[in-house]
Amino acid sequence: MRKVLTGFLIYGLPIPLLLYSLTVGPSQGLVFADYWDWGRAALNGNIQESSTKVYVLNNIIENVRLPRVLLTFIIGAGLASSGGALQGIFRNPLVDPYVLGISSGSAFGAALAIAFPFFHINVMAFVLGVASVVMTYSFAFSNNKSSIVAVILSGMIVSGIFTASLTVVQYMSDPYKLQAIVQWTMGNLHHASWDKVNTAALPVGLGIVGMYLMRWRLNLLALGEQEAKAVGVNPTADKTILVGLATLTTSTSVAAAGVISMYGLFIPHLTRMMVGPDNRKAMPANIFFGGSFLVIIDNFSRSLMDFEIPIGIFTMLLGAPFFLFLMKKNKINWV
Amino acid sequence: MTETAIEVNNLSFRYGQTPILEQVNVAFPANSFSVLLGRNGSGKSTLFNIMAGLQKYQQGSVKLLGKERSKMSFPDCARVLGFLPQFHKSVFPFQVKDVVLTGRAAFSAFNPSKSDREKVGQAIEELGISHLADRPYTELSGGEQQLVMIARVLVQNPRIILLDEPTNHLDIYYQTYVLEKLKKLTENSLTVIAIMHDPNMAFLYADHCFFMKNQTVVTPTAEFDYHASTFLEYVYDVRFTTVMVNDKLLVVPVR
Repeated sequence: MRKVLTGFLIYGLPIPLLLYSLTVGPSQGLVFADYWDWGRAALNGNIQESSTKVYVLNNIIENVRLPRVLLTFIIGAGLASSGGALQGIFRNPLVDPYVLGISSGSAFGAALAIAFPFFHINVMAFVLGVASVVMTYSFAFSNNKSSIVAVILSGMIVSGIFTASLTVVQYMSDPYKLQAIVQWTMGNLHHASWDKVNTAALPVGLGIVGMYLMRWRLNLLALGEQEAKAVGVNPTADKTILVGLATLTTSTSVAAAGVISMYGLFIPHLTRMMVGPDNRKAMPANIFFGGSFLVIIDNFSRSLMDFEIPIGIFTMLLGAPFFLFLMKKNKINWV
Repeated sequence: MTETAIEVNNLSFRYGQTPILEQVNVAFPANSFSVLLGRNGSGKSTLFNIMAGLQKYQQGSVKLLGKERSKMSFPDCARVLGFLPQFHKSVFPFQVKDVVLTGRAAFSAFNPSKSDREKVGQAIEELGISHLADRPYTELSGGEQQLVMIARVLVQNPRIILLDEPTNHLDIYYQTYVLEKLKKLTENSLTVIAIMHDPNMAFLYADHCFFMKNQTVVTPTAEFDYHASTFLEYVYDVRFTTVMVNDKLLVVPVR
C-alpha cells in the first residue's frame, strides 16, 4: 500500500498535476465549462474560429501558464536532484545546491546587472554562479587535494564575499533598482516565459540526465573517498563530473528564477523518507517529485491571495512545516 | 616453492622531511594469511596504503603478483587487490546489500548487473550475514559492520585482500569470528594480509607474521630470537613472559 502510494506520488502525479496547474491562476470568472470548451477547440485545432473567451483563455494558457508550469517543474526537478547529488558527494545531509556559493554569486551577478545595465540579468547570474563554484574549489584545493570540510568552508567564505558585495550594490542603488534586486533574490517565477523555458530546458535537462545516469556511482561516493579507492575506483573524476552537472543545473535555475532557498535541501530528505537512501531510487524520485512539489507550491503562491507571494519565500513558509512534520513522524536519527 | 603475492623492495617514503618508511623489503606469500604487527607510528598503515594504491610512492618498487603497482590502472588493480581501510562510517542509512554492492563499482560503470547482485548474495552468505541484507548499515553493531565491509571487498573477486586492523573495536567473539573467516578465505586461493595489534591473536591465526619497527620491516635473527620473546620485546618496547598453549607461543606483558 505504502509502496503504491509513494510510486504514485513520484511517477503518477506529474502529468495530471501539470494539466491541473494550467487551470490555476488569478483570472476570475473562468469556470470548468470554459476549460472544457477550450479543450475541445484545442483538440479540433479550431481555436481561431472559437468564441473570444476561448481565444483569450487559449492565450493565457499557451503564453502565460504553460511556460510557467513547465519552468517551475524544470527548476524544481533541477534543484532537488542537484541537492540530492551534492548531499551524497559531500556525505552531508545539511548540504544544499547553494553550498558552493552559487546563490550568492548569482544574486550578486543579477544585482550588478540590475544596477548597471550593461549585461543581461540571467547571463550575469549564470556566469557569477559558475564563477563562485570555481572560486570555492580553487580555494579549497591544496596539494591537489581537497577535504570535504575545506570545500564547504571555502563555499561559506565565497558566499560571504558575494553577499557582502551584494549588500554594497544594494546600498548604492536607487530605490527602484533596490526593489528589483530584492525581488530577484526572493525568487520570481512570475516572469516565466517561453524564452526562459527554452534557455533553461537544455542545461537543466543535461544536468538532470547526467545525474540520473550517475545515480549508482553516487552510492559509492556517499560511502567516502577511502572506501571508493578501496574497491578500485578513483572518486575524483566522478565527483568532478557530478559537481559540474549540479553547478550547471543550479546556476541555470537561479538565473531563470532567482534564489529559491532550502528547496534543494529538503526535497532530497523527503524522497529519502519515501524510497530510502539508495540513490538508484532516490534520484528519479528527486527529479519527478522535486518538479511536482514546486509546481504545487507555485499553484498556492499564485492562487492563495490577491497578490503573488514570491516563490522563494513561499517555499519556506509551506515547505518547512511539511518537512518538520515528516521529520517528527519518521523519527529519523542522524548520528 | 611458495609464490609471492606482494613483493616490496627498497621502499622509502616521507611526508615532507619526516621519514615514514625507510628501505622496506618484504615479501608476502600467496594463498596464506599474513599479519603485520608493530607499534603505533611504525609505518604499518602507510605501507598498506602504498600497497593498496591509496598513496603514491617515489622510491623503491611494489609488485602485485609480479606486476609493478604504479604501472597498474585503477580497475586493473581492483581485479587483483581489495583493501579494507581502518575507519568507515556511513552518514546515510544505506541497506547492507546496497553497501556491499558498491564493491562492484570498478567493474559496472552505471548500473549493477544481475551477476553483480549474485556476487553480493554469495559474499554475504560466505560470511554468514545473509540475515542482515535488508538492514540499514548504520544500525549494525561494530562487528556486523566489519563483516559487511569485508563482504564488500570480497565481491570484487580480488586475489589479495589487505585489511587495516580488521579486529579493532570488536569484542572477542567477533575477533575470533572475523579471523576464522579470513583464515578460511585463504583456502580458496586468496591471499589475506592484515594489520593487527594483538600479537597473541596473530600467533593463533596467522600463517606468517611480519613486524615493523622504526619505519621498516624487521625480521628475527639469531640475536633476537623470536621464541625467546626478546625479539618481541624489541618490537614493542615491552617486557614479555611467554606461554606455550598447544604448541603456539603466546606472550603476556610483565608487570
